[in-house]
Amino acid sequence: MRSDGGARSERILIVDDEELIVVAMRRYFEGLGYTVDSAHELEEAQALLAKRRYDLVICDLRLTGIGGVEGLQIVSDIHQRSSDTRVILLSAYGTPEIERESYNRGADAFLHKPKSMMEIANVAVNLLDQR
Amino acid sequence: MIESALNRILQPGAITPVYQPIFRLNGGTPRIDGVECLSRGPRGTNFEAADVLFEYVRLKREESLVDRACIAAAFRGASTLPSSLRLGVNVHASTLGRDHGFIGFLEGTAAATGIALSRVVIEVIEHAPSWDGLSFQSTLEQLRQLGMAIALDDVGLGQSNFKMILDVRPDYLKLDRYFVDGCFADPHRRAVITALRTLARDFDAEIVAEGVETADDAATLQGLGITLMQGFHFAHPLPLDAPFWSAAAPSCHSQ
Repeated sequence: MRSDGGARSERILIVDDEELIVVAMRRYFEGLGYTVDSAHELEEAQALLAKRRYDLVICDLRLTGIGGVEGLQIVSDIHQRSSDTRVILLSAYGTPEIERESYNRGADAFLHKPKSMMEIANVAVNLLDQR
Repeated sequence: MIESALNRILQPGAITPVYQPIFRLNGGTPRIDGVECLSRGPRGTNFEAADVLFEYVRLKREESLVDRACIAAAFRGASTLPSSLRLGVNVHASTLGRDHGFIGFLEGTAAATGIALSRVVIEVIEHAPSWDGLSFQSTLEQLRQLGMAIALDDVGLGQSNFKMILDVRPDYLKLDRYFVDGCFADPHRRAVITALRTLARDFDAEIVAEGVETADDAATLQGLGITLMQGFHFAHPLPLDAPFWSAAAPSCHSQ
């Protein structure tokens, strides 16, 4: 994995309703040289995806904290707009059915929490390098 | 869990107004005819960018709440601008069709900020076509009775089509930048502009060309009979403290 912090052209969107997770992931990926945006709720992420182009989206499955699966909606939105954007879904609650559904909708990776930042970054960088 | 983004947008002072001058070119020096009041969301958030702000608002189906917040911010700021300037404010058609208290809100906000409603141009924008048509028409009629003019925004794109022109009967057709940008070198763009100019005349309306960014395009538009223009060639959207306003005041139209 590249870790020299040199500027890279790829743009990443991080979507999570937990501010601490967003801040930590932003810092980590910005440290790797990526341009990073973040969103905390479904519609905020959808608005960004409608108006900006991203190379990678890292998205929590649940954005409301009350058992939703908003992450699946975001995966669908992305694949209606661009086949170029890679998507990683993260979840602490993922069942095999949801994992299967996320791949059916076009997710490139489904990661079960907890995962270290380095594990997430390894998957992210590999997906970006495959493009 | 963090605070809802909508709550942050609706906090007092969260919306920052900026004002883009609209110029009238009747030969000689361009004169400022009015401004379009534009909005920026909370600083340091994704919503500082207007395109993201309004996409989010439409997804949340809260156009009316945010339209009101933007107008209140725009009127408060505009009270320091020359009183001769027309003030264009953007309003979703769905707000006009569904928000039954909107007229009262406008009157109250104008009175509180000292803005004469006869200066106000309601720029109708629309992205969701489903609203109560009768209520929409009734609101437009009330706006006119109060002395406001009506503009149709983004003409030529999306929902701002011929049906909307018929429904709204606008005083101004705001020609989207898509048709303006590069019209100097593109006969097909010029053909669309010429057709819309003819249409505007038949409706007793004026065309405002948006997104004019070069002298060549401005001259071409003038040659096609378009006299109202806005865009970076003339002026960017400006905050109230921009020196432009004090320098520009003497060149404003007197009415």
